[in-house]
This record gives sequence, C-alpha cells and structure tokens, in this order.
Amino acid sequence: MKKALALLLALVMVLSLAACGSSEPAATEAPKADAPAAEAPAEAPAEEPAAEEGKVFRIYAWNEEFKGFFEKYYEVPEGITVEWVINPNDGGVYQDKLDEALLNQANAPADEKIDMFLAEADYILKYTDTEFTQDITALGVTDFSNTYEYTVQAASDSNGVVKGVSFQCCPAALIYRRSIAEDVLGTSEPAEVQELLNSWDKFNAVAADAAAKGYYMTASEAATFRVFSNNTSAPLVNEAGELVLDEAITTWQAQAKNFADNGYTLTADIWSDECTAQMFADGKTMCYFGPAWYFNFSMGNAQDPEKGCYGDWAICQGPQAHFWGGTWLLAATGSDNPTMLADVMDTFINDEEVCKALIENEAQFTNNQAVNAAFAEDPNYGNEFLGGQNDVAIFVELAKNIRFENKTIYDQLLTEGLQGYWREYCDGTVTEEEAMANYYKYINEKYPEIVTP
Amino acid sequence: MKRLPVRKSKGISYAKWGYIFIAPFFITYAIFVLYPQMLTIYNSFFENYRSGLKQVGPNFVGLENYVKLFTPDKNGTIDILKYAGNTVILWVGGAIPQITIALLLAIFFTSYRLKIRGQQFFKTVIYMPNLIMASAFSMLFYTLFSPVGPINALLTDWGMIDATLDFFSQKITVRGMIMLMNFLLWFGNTTILLMAGIMGIDQNMFEAAQIDGANSVQVFFRVTLPLLMPILVYTIITALIGGLQMFDVPQVLTNGGGTPNRTSMTLIMFLNNYLKTSKNYGMAGAISVIIFIITGILSLIVYRSLTKQDN
Repeated sequence: MKKALALLLALVMVLSLAACGSSEPAATEAPKADAPAAEAPAEAPAEEPAAEEGKVFRIYAWNEEFKGFFEKYYEVPEGITVEWVINPNDGGVYQDKLDEALLNQANAPADEKIDMFLAEADYILKYTDTEFTQDITALGVTDFSNTYEYTVQAASDSNGVVKGVSFQCCPAALIYRRSIAEDVLGTSEPAEVQELLNSWDKFNAVAADAAAKGYYMTASEAATFRVFSNNTSAPLVNEAGELVLDEAITTWQAQAKNFADNGYTLTADIWSDECTAQMFADGKTMCYFGPAWYFNFSMGNAQDPEKGCYGDWAICQGPQAHFWGGTWLLAATGSDNPTMLADVMDTFINDEEVCKALIENEAQFTNNQAVNAAFAEDPNYGNEFLGGQNDVAIFVELAKNIRFENKTIYDQLLTEGLQGYWREYCDGTVTEEEAMANYYKYINEKYPEIVTP
Repeated sequence: MKRLPVRKSKGISYAKWGYIFIAPFFITYAIFVLYPQMLTIYNSFFENYRSGLKQVGPNFVGLENYVKLFTPDKNGTIDILKYAGNTVILWVGGAIPQITIALLLAIFFTSYRLKIRGQQFFKTVIYMPNLIMASAFSMLFYTLFSPVGPINALLTDWGMIDATLDFFSQKITVRGMIMLMNFLLWFGNTTILLMAGIMGIDQNMFEAAQIDGANSVQVFFRVTLPLLMPILVYTIITALIGGLQMFDVPQVLTNGGGTPNRTSMTLIMFLNNYLKTSKNYGMAGAISVIIFIITGILSLIVYRSLTKQDN
C-alpha cells in the first residue's frame, strides 16, 4: 500500500516536472525546425513579396469572441498555424500581458512575435499612437469606403495613420424583455417602448413602476453607466493629467444610488453571475444596455433556446444614444506575416460574404455599411432572438450618432474602479466620501501619473 | 602499502572544511535573497513606473515614497497601517484556532493511552486541504457563497433567510471566510510539525509524571508544553511570517479589491496593486521594506515573549 502510494507520488512529481519542462523544449524546437524559413523575412526587406513569411500567426485577445468568427470564416493559408494568446480583460490583465509582449517584441524569435492583437475602445488609444503598431495601408489594406468613419478614426494615430480595423460597429441599444415590458408598460412594441423610455426622467419613473410590480429595471446599478459615460463633454482625465468626473458621470452616480436604495436594481458587477442569472427565463430584470455583441455574445444564458426566454427580447434606442466597446484588430510592428495580416483585416471589413454570414449566423452588426444597409432594408430579415425584430435597421440609424471622442488610454480601469467602489456606496457599506477616497487610492496605485482630487 | 608523506605541521585543521561545507548555503542566500533584498531597498528610493507603454524614471527621489505611504488621506487613515492592521487581524483570526486545534490533535495522535485507530487516514485527511492550491480553494468558497451560489440557495430553502445574503459586502463575513480558509489550509501542516515535536520528547517524562500522579491536564501544561516550546515558537514564527505575506486567499476571494471598503486588503495585496499595470517599483519597494521591518519586529516580539520563561 505504502509502496504503491510512494510510487504514485513519485510519478506525479516526475510528470509534473515533465509537464513544466515540456513547454520550453517545444517552444525552442519549433523555431529550430523552421529556422531557415523563419529567419528569412526578418532579414529580407518587407517589400519583397517573394520573401517567405512566418509559419506562426500569433494573435493576442481577451476572449473567444473573435476567435470563433476567425475560425469559422477565415481560411488560413496553408502552412501557417494560428496561435491564440487569450488573457481576460478584467483588472487590466490583458493589457498587462500584451504590454509585456509588445515591449519584448523586438527580441522575440520570429514565430513568437505578435502579428495581430485585439484592442477595445477603452484602451485602443494606448496602442495606436505608438510605434508598437504599424500602418496597415502600407500592408495593402486601403479600402475603407464601406466602414464606419469612427472605426477608422479610432484606429488611427494622431497623424491619421491607420493602424487597424474593427470587424464590428457598436452602436448600443436598450435591450428589454418583451414579456416584462408588456406587464409594466402595457406594450412590447419597440417603437412604443421607445416612446415611453426616451428620456432619463421617464426611465427613472418606469423603474419605480417596474419595482412596484416586483421587477428590476436593471440587473446592475452599472448597467446604465455606458450610456452616461459615452455622453460626457470631456475625457475622464484632462490635459493636465487630472481626474475630472463629468456631469454625466455624476448623474449616473446619483441614479445608481437611487436605484439601489429603492430596489430598482440589483447591486452587482455587470459581468457577475448574479447579473447574468437574471437573463434566464425566471429572471426579473427588464432592461439591459449594449450593442449587438452584448446580446449575441454576453447574454449567453438568454441565447439558449432551452432556457426559455429566447425570442422574448427586443431593442430600442433608449434614453440616450451611445456606443459601447468594439473590438479592433491592430497590426503589430515586427509582424512576420504581413500578407496574412492584411488579408485578415481586409476580409472582416470588405468581404461581403463574410460580413453577411456575421449578421445572419452570429447576429453581429458589421463594419460594412453596404451589407448592413442591405439587411436593414430586407423585409425578410429578422433576428429570432429579438422576436423577429430587424435589429440591423435600428443599429444603422443608431450608428449615425457615434462619435469617438473624449477617450483616454486609462478608460478601462478607471471605469472598472469607479463602478466597483461606487457599488460599495450603493450597497451602503461605505459613505460617499469613503467610496471616492477608495477610488482615488485605486487610481493612484494603477496610474501614478493621474492627479486625483 | 603506500607511505603517507610526513607532515611538519603539528595538527590538521578541519576548520576550512566546515566553511566549505556551509558555503553553498551562504552563496545561494547571498545571490537569491540578500542581493534582491538590497536591490529592493535601493529601488524604494526611486520614482520608477510605467505610464501606458512609456517608462517613467528611475529618478532618485529620496524618501518621497515612504512619505507618501505614511501621509494620511482626507478621512485621516494612513493606508499602510490600515492594511497592516487588516493583515494582523486576518492572521490572528486564522492562527489562534489553527495552533489550538493543531496542538490538541497532535496530543491526541501521539497519546499512547488514547491509541486512536485509523491515524494514518486522519493525518492524511487533515493534511489534504494544504495540497489544494489556495487560489482554487478561494474560488471554491467564492462560488459557494456567491449570491447565486448553493449556500444562499440552501439557506433560502430551509427558510432561514428571506432575501439573498451578500456575504461579500460584509466585513465580518469576508474576514471570517478568509480566516476559516487559512485555518483549514494550514492546521494539518501545523499538526504534523507539532506531532514531530511531541514525539521528540522522551516518553519517560510522561510515564514519570503519571507515576507521580499527574492528570493529563497537568501533564500537558507541566511536561508537554515546556518541552515543546522550541518547536511551538518555530511554528508560530513561521506562521507569522506566512501570515504577514497573506495574499492568495483574500486576493482571489475579493478579486483583488479587498472588499468591502478595503478591509480585507492585506499588505501584499497592496504591494501587488502597485506592481500590476503601473509597474511602480519605487512604491512597491518602499512597501516591501516596511513589511520587512514589521516582520522583523513582530518575530522578535514573539520570540522574546515565548522564550522568556526559560531564562
């Protein structure tokens, strides 16, 4: 018995050591095998089309969303392996890992260089205006005639050099449960619901009605945050490097506290299990806010027809127009696969077949205006999840309002922190002063250069 | 037979071998501990962080980092002292049951009068939690106690609560969970250490005490405890150092926030906040130095207070 146990333990130890070691030999062996091929592009000038390119296409991402589309709709050229490095966005982990890799890019072996990385609206500025991203027009992506202007502007540096593309356009809408709207508002028709919820005053008043009937207006006090934060008149950090909370943000703060105190909302992180549990059939929440990616990707619970509320949703503009997020594909400087890089980017903005499939199969709102317009006008098109509503038609209208402005490189963590520390005040655990003091401390830790009040 | 050469010196010095044999430890210590420690202290005098992808510094700023650490905020709290307090509370709350239960178990297991059956099994079981990664263990607790987790569902089913209990917004429950987890993770390890200590005591002592008519309580306080003191002190000091470096359990449980109101933020979590994103080596260095000093002082106090009676 004892011997068997000892043997087992010894085996486990040996195996775990072997497991630890195995990644390294694999990494070092790979370049050896392809050494001639891998080194060639690094030495040869990039303009030479004949020069053979790298065998590994490495993509940094923070979730599986784009990976899914990429694997389905992009045909990887023969002989090239695609490697995904996925780290979660939460807490800035993705940015930290990506930064490390980018700073190391020059010294990394050809096959380990990042070829393309994904960035979100909240921190894309951190990468576009640096030498870590490269001009994609030089790589051959030149046709932006069908893309939405803001997506190109967001991916350009301060001199207007385009560094990447977005495969989606992200006007955000109010996403509501039809059955609950029927009960609370007496109607579930998008146009009528919009009429009843087209200002914050109406929204707040309806929240009280919903609560009276035993529903929640939102599943998180931060659900409306993006609507406000996207309508600010100035960035969160001004030119002097000082944190300034815009009036729109303070309005949200007051609303969040009001909603929490009156039981109009749960107090939970927007990505928490508690919040997503409300998307099940027995959820009691009426409103969510988000663009197409929110309901087609983040509302996984509701997307499952088995769970009982598939088709019980609809979208309308809501109290204020806004956009939220969006995934940009940026070209990393030093990529050893420039041809494929350009091809990927071009495919996701200009290949009509791919864009059509993205709408039809994935409920995306693409970054191709022509394709979007075709679906918007198609009377036969309807999104089953939204009870047959033509979401594209609404998004086409909403997309006209998008302005990419008042953004900073700090937005992701400043937003996460504000929501987190303000939640403690909404919960009643801390006073307002304590909540803000904690938030300022958090900022000082994350970004020593920002001056807090 | 080979003849040994005649040596003129009067004796052979073995001293140099002694030094050579202990040298590897000192060399590795110097390279892997002493040098980084000096480097940390050196770094703590610099402004050195990353802003986005740009590096700021290192610029020599003297004691500015330390001054910043000890400057009270608007509400009058000095952060680092608050976090040091949190750490000590979290450690004491976990360590007291840990040492008590471990001591009790160690005595039961080593008692030749009780002769507990299946000892091997129980020893394995109590040691088991230590094999689980602390982060996995906290994830487990997080899932169990989450507002949509099984504990809430159970309590609701049994009719003990009406509304969902948010365990993570109350200071007392969050701290309680951290203490409980640290206790569960470490009491097995402490039991094994203390058992080794007790088994090292000469059995004749116990027999002699019993022949003299001592009851088991007397045996424990008059014989076991004094003779166990060196091991107990060692256990407490190592637990203390481990406790001051408490990180993984509260970090994972509160998702790095030390919620609520930063009352479960430990010193190392504070340090980690400076290392992530901003890579602020200056401030992180200053915090490390302070943790080093606190650890030194506390270890000294524990050592002094527990070994005093021997003198």
